[in-house]
Amino acid sequence: MNPRTRKALEFVLDNLVWFMLLFVLVVFSIFVPNYFQLGIFANIIEASSVLGVMSIGLALVIIAGHMDLSVESVAALSAMAVGILFCSSGIGMGVQLHPEWLMVPVSLLLALAVGGLIGAFNGYLVVKVKMSAFIITLASYIWVRGLVLVVSGGRSAQDLAPAIRWFGIQRLVGLPLTAWIAVGCFVVFSLIMAKTPFGRHLVMIGGNETATFRAGIRVNRNLIIAFVLAGAIAGLAGWLLAIRTSGATANLGVGLLFNAFAAVVIGGVSLKGGVGTLPGVYAGVLLLSAINTAINLMGLPANFTQVIHGLLVLAAVLLDAFKQTIRQRLA
Amino acid sequence: MSEPLLVLDNVTKNYGAIEALKGISFSIGKGEVVALLGDNGAGKSTLVKIISGGLEPTSGRMLFEGKEFLAKSPAEAKAAGIETVYQDLSLCTNVDVVANFFMGREITRKFLGIPVLDERAMEAVVGKALANAGTRIPSLRANVEHLSGGQRQAIELNRFVHWGGKLVLLDEPFAALGVEQTRRGLDMIRQVANQGIGVVIITHIMQQAFQVADRIVVIRQGVVAGDVARNKTSPDAVINMITGETLAGAGPTG
Repeated sequence: MNPRTRKALEFVLDNLVWFMLLFVLVVFSIFVPNYFQLGIFANIIEASSVLGVMSIGLALVIIAGHMDLSVESVAALSAMAVGILFCSSGIGMGVQLHPEWLMVPVSLLLALAVGGLIGAFNGYLVVKVKMSAFIITLASYIWVRGLVLVVSGGRSAQDLAPAIRWFGIQRLVGLPLTAWIAVGCFVVFSLIMAKTPFGRHLVMIGGNETATFRAGIRVNRNLIIAFVLAGAIAGLAGWLLAIRTSGATANLGVGLLFNAFAAVVIGGVSLKGGVGTLPGVYAGVLLLSAINTAINLMGLPANFTQVIHGLLVLAAVLLDAFKQTIRQRLA
Repeated sequence: MSEPLLVLDNVTKNYGAIEALKGISFSIGKGEVVALLGDNGAGKSTLVKIISGGLEPTSGRMLFEGKEFLAKSPAEAKAAGIETVYQDLSLCTNVDVVANFFMGREITRKFLGIPVLDERAMEAVVGKALANAGTRIPSLRANVEHLSGGQRQAIELNRFVHWGGKLVLLDEPFAALGVEQTRRGLDMIRQVANQGIGVVIITHIMQQAFQVADRIVVIRQGVVAGDVARNKTSPDAVINMITGETLAGAGPTG
């Protein structure tokens, strides 16, 4: 095989999800009536912002060789905290700050702090007590959701302060600011993972933790940071979720975890750790969103989405195995 | 012997009730190659891990360059100038050759105050280091998982030659190497020692020990069973020290 074709083939393998996304968009544009519109494409990006942000955090810890099942509940708790403080009806306390814009940084910091704290708790237990991340974050998934129910009493908060809602309404080049925040997060964290020593170390820790420890990399510190980031990013997802629904309900975001997992796996991240990139994850998120939109437009019952998502995850895993065999031939 | 670089003074290590090391004392000079021999389970790897910061000794002390020394982590040992090549390779197979070579000490440049990996500079350094050592690897950007066992070990060896430091510990470094590569590896060890770096090499192969070492230290059942200059002993005598049949000619060198 000459180097040119080899390079081209590797490029395709590295970016397979993007090609799949392109393929799906073309197919839907041809066969689904009214699919080919800028508004639809904008909607695909907009609808995927919460899931996208959450997937970033999940992908970080999975690439580092661990797991965070708590992201969904953490997002719900952050959203509820913002909702209770800054909503004016339901259980909302309607806190007002002057000037009004001050509510934006305050609510955002609150959401990030709630997430970051739970992330730190998870990370500490995983790293210092050396317990399985799966079990620890499963516990957090349960107790954090429980906390949401406790603080809300099962009720909801509505009518988020307009100054915060502004992010969901104000549009820039056809997309609401919330969607731009998600895109921005992907750009920033993709750069961190690909271009900084911290990102490189996370990937290597996911590949061979012992080797990185022996090489003098501060493995524990890096892992705790990854968990804190995953929590804080989930908090950000919760903030976006609160804006999107203009409040918070006790069962907000239920089921997002599995979609996030699906997106991460479809995006080419290996659950064994050490493999995967964030642009791929974003393509996975967009792919799920593109399919949801198509199902909506075709007027199929929404229940079909779950069946299709499940099959898609299966396809992604099979594809991954297939990619591995091709790569082995290439080397 | 030149001035001692590392001195071990009655170092012990217990795992619960089991005494892996019962009191090890010997020293390594600058530019000296010491071959550490011993049967399986004699405690060689435990000793290496203690020096390199992977394990803490139960008692005893170490002097490194005349100062009290105890590495609590591999990072500390590295900072002090101690490089280690482990028996089971310490490579991350999911990243490329360059990333492995620079693991934990990446070259960065600041961009808006944020450290950014300088891939081009790192690739140039690795290319040069491998070329100098005569190691051929198809692509520096290939993930290590696609390389052969020999190529992987060559990367590890080149890594320690490049970083050098003051003391190098090699735990059975040639296990996966062919004849020619092993010969080159032994040459590398001599080169490194000639720069004034102390080298401790653990090996099972008597021939290698006699080829490269200045001094041979034998560990048996957690104690030093022999510490002799290479030119004052013979393979047979060393084998006897390893198996414990006789301690003749096994006194410490002056």
